[in-house]
Amino acid sequence: MAESLAFEFAPAIAVLPFVSFLVALLAGRYLPKKGAIAGMVATGGSLLLSAWTLFAVHTGHAYQQTLYTWVGGELVDFELTFGILLDPLSTLMLVIVSTIAFLVHMFSLGYMNDDGQTGLPRYYAELGLFTASMLGFVFADNLLMAFMFFELVGLCSYLLIGFWFREAGPPSAAKKAFLVTRFGDYFFLIGVVGVFATFGTSMFGGPGVDDSFVHVAEQALVGEASVNTFGFEPQTWFTILGLLVLGGVMGKSAQFPFHTWLPDAMEGPTPVSALIHAATMVAAGVYLVARMYGFYALSPTALAIIALVGGFTALFAATMAVVKREIKQVLAYSTISQYGYIMLALGGGGYVAGVFHLTTHAFFKALLFLGAGSVIIAMHHNENMWDMGGLKEKMPVTYYAFLSGSLALAGIVPFSGFWSKDEVLYETLVHGLGGSPILLAAYAMGLIAVFFTGFYTVRMVLLTFHGEPRSETAADPEPVRWNVKLPLAVLGVLAAVAGVINLVPVHAVVSAVPEILHDWLYHGPTGLNGEHYHELITNDAFAGYTSGELLGLGETGTLFASAGISLALAVAGSLLALVLYRGPDPAEHTDKLGALKPVLFNNYYQDEYQVWLAEGATVRVARLADRFDRGIIDGLVNFVSSLSLFSGDRLRRVQTGIVTNYAALLTLGLTLLLVAFGVMQGWFV
Amino acid sequence: MAVPVQYYLVFSTLVFCIGLFGVLTRRNALFFLMSVELMLNAANINLVAFSFYHGNLTGQVFSLFTMALAAAEVAIGIGIILVLYRNFADVDVTSATTLRW
Amino acid sequence: MGSLAFARELRRATSCGLPPWGVVRMMLELLIALCLVGAFAVFVLPDEYAPKAAFGISLVPLVLSLYMYLTFDGVGNALLGGDIAFESQYQWLTLGSYDVSWFMGLDGISMPLVVLATLLTTLAILASWTPIDMRQSQFYGLMLFMEASLIGVFGALDFLIWFVFWEAVLVPMYFLIGIWGGARRKYAAIKFFVYTNIASIVMFVGFFGLVFGLGDSISSLALPEIAQALRAGELGSLGAFGPEQLALLAFLAMFVGFAVKVPVVPFHTWLPDAHVEAPTPASVMLAGVLLKMGTYALLRYNFTMLPTIARDLAVPIAALGVLSILYGAMLALAQSDLKRIVAYSSVSSMGYVTLGLVAYTMYGTGGATFQMVSHGLISGLLFACVGVIYNTTHTRMVGDMSGLAEKMPVTAGSFIVGAFAYMGLPLMAGFAAEFFVFVGSFDAHFAYSTVLTALAMFGIVIVAGYLLWSMQRTLFGPFRSETDYDVTTASLHDVAPLLVLLVCIIALGTFPYDLAFERVLDATEPILDTTVAAVGGGS
Repeated sequence: MAESLAFEFAPAIAVLPFVSFLVALLAGRYLPKKGAIAGMVATGGSLLLSAWTLFAVHTGHAYQQTLYTWVGGELVDFELTFGILLDPLSTLMLVIVSTIAFLVHMFSLGYMNDDGQTGLPRYYAELGLFTASMLGFVFADNLLMAFMFFELVGLCSYLLIGFWFREAGPPSAAKKAFLVTRFGDYFFLIGVVGVFATFGTSMFGGPGVDDSFVHVAEQALVGEASVNTFGFEPQTWFTILGLLVLGGVMGKSAQFPFHTWLPDAMEGPTPVSALIHAATMVAAGVYLVARMYGFYALSPTALAIIALVGGFTALFAATMAVVKREIKQVLAYSTISQYGYIMLALGGGGYVAGVFHLTTHAFFKALLFLGAGSVIIAMHHNENMWDMGGLKEKMPVTYYAFLSGSLALAGIVPFSGFWSKDEVLYETLVHGLGGSPILLAAYAMGLIAVFFTGFYTVRMVLLTFHGEPRSETAADPEPVRWNVKLPLAVLGVLAAVAGVINLVPVHAVVSAVPEILHDWLYHGPTGLNGEHYHELITNDAFAGYTSGELLGLGETGTLFASAGISLALAVAGSLLALVLYRGPDPAEHTDKLGALKPVLFNNYYQDEYQVWLAEGATVRVARLADRFDRGIIDGLVNFVSSLSLFSGDRLRRVQTGIVTNYAALLTLGLTLLLVAFGVMQGWFV
Repeated sequence: MAVPVQYYLVFSTLVFCIGLFGVLTRRNALFFLMSVELMLNAANINLVAFSFYHGNLTGQVFSLFTMALAAAEVAIGIGIILVLYRNFADVDVTSATTLRW
Repeated sequence: MGSLAFARELRRATSCGLPPWGVVRMMLELLIALCLVGAFAVFVLPDEYAPKAAFGISLVPLVLSLYMYLTFDGVGNALLGGDIAFESQYQWLTLGSYDVSWFMGLDGISMPLVVLATLLTTLAILASWTPIDMRQSQFYGLMLFMEASLIGVFGALDFLIWFVFWEAVLVPMYFLIGIWGGARRKYAAIKFFVYTNIASIVMFVGFFGLVFGLGDSISSLALPEIAQALRAGELGSLGAFGPEQLALLAFLAMFVGFAVKVPVVPFHTWLPDAHVEAPTPASVMLAGVLLKMGTYALLRYNFTMLPTIARDLAVPIAALGVLSILYGAMLALAQSDLKRIVAYSSVSSMGYVTLGLVAYTMYGTGGATFQMVSHGLISGLLFACVGVIYNTTHTRMVGDMSGLAEKMPVTAGSFIVGAFAYMGLPLMAGFAAEFFVFVGSFDAHFAYSTVLTALAMFGIVIVAGYLLWSMQRTLFGPFRSETDYDVTTASLHDVAPLLVLLVCIIALGTFPYDLAFERVLDATEPILDTTVAAVGGGS
């Protein structure tokens, strides 16, 4: 009974932040704290409700309910609906999102209110709208609804990146973020429309939903159902659809080559970066892959591409993070890199691993961004790490929380990031060893990225907190209040211990230690649980992955070998950074990179060619079209008009204005007419 | 004995041609008006002649209408000529050509 | 209970009490008469009273049309034997062997457009208060006259009556551009008038080709009779042309005639000139309602009367639609005048209507009709925003200003939301309409429909490009204005139209089915049924 009540209240999870959006928008300026309290109450309520639904899903079962029929009725080919789907995956994500949203609201009190910022009602309104859209996206029960909230989340991201619109940088970054993700969403939209055209529904599934597109696709592949596949082989067409949707995923989750917007998005306020550009919106992309994992699991090609993109992005972004000077830039590239890992896990057949890393990353990356925000407050909005140093003694809470997050990011045992990253790599490795060289290549890239991750993380910590202060503000930083410290402390603890939810290597030795997340995700509703995905992955009719072993070490041996390799690399990277940047006054070592230095500083010139594509090429084509339009098409129109004007001008010269001429013409005409009549009548014969 | 209708026609043709000649050669607006009047009267003669020839009074009634119209037309014509004179200090019809376009 | 069922219920409840049935039947005539009388009254009023009087008068048809919308009880398509709402038919005169009657009525396609016309007229009148500072009484009189003609275009069901209204719309718009327009107003006004008028003639010839080709099978110029006769395959030959040739030629003539009005590339070049030179309220009307006349007529004539030809020519027509979308968007990208940007983006957006119409699917045709309404609201909003900005900065060039969001937050906010609606952001009318069109045309009956739809969707990326670019330049960044005018916050009567449109756009995007789509589908669905037998019953 209690669970059904929890499910009844579930829509309020998204509605509450929406109400806080309205409150902040309409009445924010009259409220104390300008809407922050309303936002905290709303997100706090969402958190409680999310936790309640999580508990309800745990004790009872999953829940799916159509709430509103957007388009329906007897005339309609297929209905378009809004509904909620509460299963282990979505409730877990709801809790993550509402937790971080709540903490970010609290942090914003310190970052924005205490800083005397203007436009706070707008800030809290946009934050509320974002939270509502994100939560709506998470519990969406169909692809169309997911797409709609996906877009709304993008709008909020645009608005929040451009929060400081009076400066030149943020609006430009906001535009770039929206455009790049919009480019990805273009493919997503084709995918959504294609899913409707193919299956006539876009339901993800859940209890009571028998004809979800995921399920129908599965049946179509084994010949139990037939759908319109537009002249392709079913598996080819499903791969195409999956890759189209993947376009949106890669845009939102900042995967190569759509990653360029994320570093620029750091122009937004730091709490926004923590909420949107680290823990939630960027997660929306990979969450979508997890949400419709049953569909991707049908296509080995799609999975291989996901893994390859993920592995490459993980490595690619990690190398760029190595040379960055601004603390938020390092974090931005590390975010891109970490989402690469999650993609790698999902592509490599590690559904649980992907969700695990998604969870731990959400906590430790939000923590790192909030920690960076705390440092930025202390440094009076100077983000350059080379002006910092020695902050460890001045702000111990921030330091220890940040350290916890950093160790998790670097993947040092026993912090949460170690467990999840290890599982990501392990899953990819075993499936790669099972006979997929592409997965092995992706794994290799992910593995090398571990080294770089350790390096840039430790470099960041050392430069920021250790050594001697390298500027006056670093020597005398602005103090931060409880509203900054409390979120940091909470997240610091979470980042350290969140790994306990899935201690796979420990479980392998002591089977009494449960794999909580694994069990959690495996007990979902029919067709939407990890067990089913595992069956799909290993079924030859679908992805057809098989597990292999490393050098005949056996399953457990491979597990520990994989963990050992990645831990060794992480430690090696960390130690290298420790050696290079230790001491009171560390030196920049970037010159040693030689020819690589400008390439890395310029982010492999990714921005350059994309800006050229968007501005140079497109605008040039547009100008050309404009010239064609004005010259040729409108020229033709004007030519017709000037032709008639010209001929009219010539013809009117017959009108001399001299009455005598008219009379003569009249007479002549009459005479000619008479003669003509005469000739025709034969008078003159 | 009645005069044959051909005589009237020849006569009206002559009057018409005189009027036409005047319209084509004269530049003075007054002469112009008089010539137009002659042409109109030539038509009147035809109307009356055919009316007599057919024994039908319609033509004569029409010529009465025409005369009334001609009178009105002369009134307007002379009005135009007066304006012409006021504007150009002349009644030469070839000088006033600006209204053509 | 669906909203349509609710409307019928409400109609039953209210018709027995307050308004006598006869008057309710004549509602459309009442609307037109009110606008005409109002136009005359405003025309003779002194200038200082004209703005408020016109606004007050225009509220009456607005409220009435909303009442009509609520109590709308039409069923099916007016041309295909549906149950016509607010129908009235009176024999007028006989031309040769054809009866001409005063035949008015609404169905689910025309009803939303009538409300769109009355709503946008009221808002455009409100938006004129600030910028129009000369000959007010004439300006507002013409606006009301245009409203009357527009209602007539959407309501008329007899060809001759329809054509009179169709042409009558041009007259006020010609004067609005020619008198109150910008520097090149004469060029723009004449271009607009002559271009669209020539198109009307071409269309007229095409239509009468059909009428004469039908011969004795029709006895009047009533559109339902003609449509049903054509769909029943009663078209005979005319002169040297056999029935099929005649139908093809008539289709082409009417298509070209209406395509100019829409406008479909390459017949679009009058539009940017007219928009740039027109005073902003006239632009609102032009983009918001006048363009819809073209697509409305395409739907009523080409796609309803000659479905087989339309299906045969689907690929080139869809290609033209896609060309309009992409080419129009590229042109918008190259502009630096805000009004030109919005004008070209109208060309782009109307391409979706063409694409949806030719798809001949439930979502395609219905979505295209929905897009007419949605684009009317959205482009109206954007033009009104540009107008408010122009009122205070006296420039429309993107490079001449920046950071306006600081000085005019409400206007900037409306512009942002309007721009996102234009980009097809979900839960706003634009997304609903475009999504319906895409879903409808993705696996439509014609070849390459998938590829063409995918291409058309790329419009949503380009539109984001130029709108975001122009917003970044004008609204954001440090405040700067190149003109000498004092940039101040807009007054309430300037921003009120923006807010009303915003609410409409969001409401329509969130509740598309209940607010409009159900009525639209009810009327577009009979068009899709192209079997001959299904049509005969109505006549």
